Amino acid sequence: MILGVAVFAGLLLGLLLDRLGRRIWQPPVFRHSWLVAIFFLPQFLAFYLPATRGLFSAQLVAASLVLSQFGLLAFCLFNWRLTGIPVLTVGLFLNLIVILANGGMMPVSPETVSRLVSSETMARLEIGERLGTTKSILLTEEMMVFPWLADRFVPPDWIPYRFAFSVGDVFIGLGAFVLLAFPTRKEFAIKKGNPSYDNQPDIQAANNGGKRRC
Amino acid sequence: MKNTTAQFVSIVSKIKMQHIQIAVMVMVALMLALGAGAPTDGGGIGH
Repeated sequence: MILGVAVFAGLLLGLLLDRLGRRIWQPPVFRHSWLVAIFFLPQFLAFYLPATRGLFSAQLVAASLVLSQFGLLAFCLFNWRLTGIPVLTVGLFLNLIVILANGGMMPVSPETVSRLVSSETMARLEIGERLGTTKSILLTEEMMVFPWLADRFVPPDWIPYRFAFSVGDVFIGLGAFVLLAFPTRKEFAIKKGNPSYDNQPDIQAANNGGKRRC
Repeated sequence: MKNTTAQFVSIVSKIKMQHIQIAVMVMVALMLALGAGAPTDGGGIGH
């Protein structure tokens, strides 16, 4: 959910800057966007769709997550030149490393989980098991490979929504925010009213959807 | 019935290609961020 907030916050800021006349907001033009639809599907079934997420075994969940993230990584490489994508790719790469190194799921320690759930729920959890319907597995710090890349950060207590996140998640949230807040390429950034706009027929054409005015 | 149809047609005619492009782009960005990230949601634990 927190990454969804980053996406919509970026979109709102981008549209707001456009409305205020600071810059022209144009949706980023993705290449091979079908890759995202195809490779998000395993995760949608394994983690998000209530009717199917309980049907996946631990091995199948891990395979779905790793396969999906490799596909998304390929999409990021195809779209490397878009603003925000390099930052997002770094985050995806960091998450993928720690997930691969820990058996296909994101490790999280009991100390971190104890800050998210009640003591009753905590008492029911076992080391080495998947945490409910999340992408995470409960491991002690000693059992983890690359523990500094695991979900180990928790928001301040005054935020009611409780979640733990990794360094990779920070990069992904930041990249997604920038991707939607500032998607406009430099050549589009000169807006009507700027003295240099009248001398830039290519920029005018780009701002008019690729059609040159004669 | 005619009113409902007219309202529907009116709403649909206001949807521009750019709105559809933005909706698709936001969906792609959302799927990318959700798929790439792996935060542990406290609400998903214990289910």
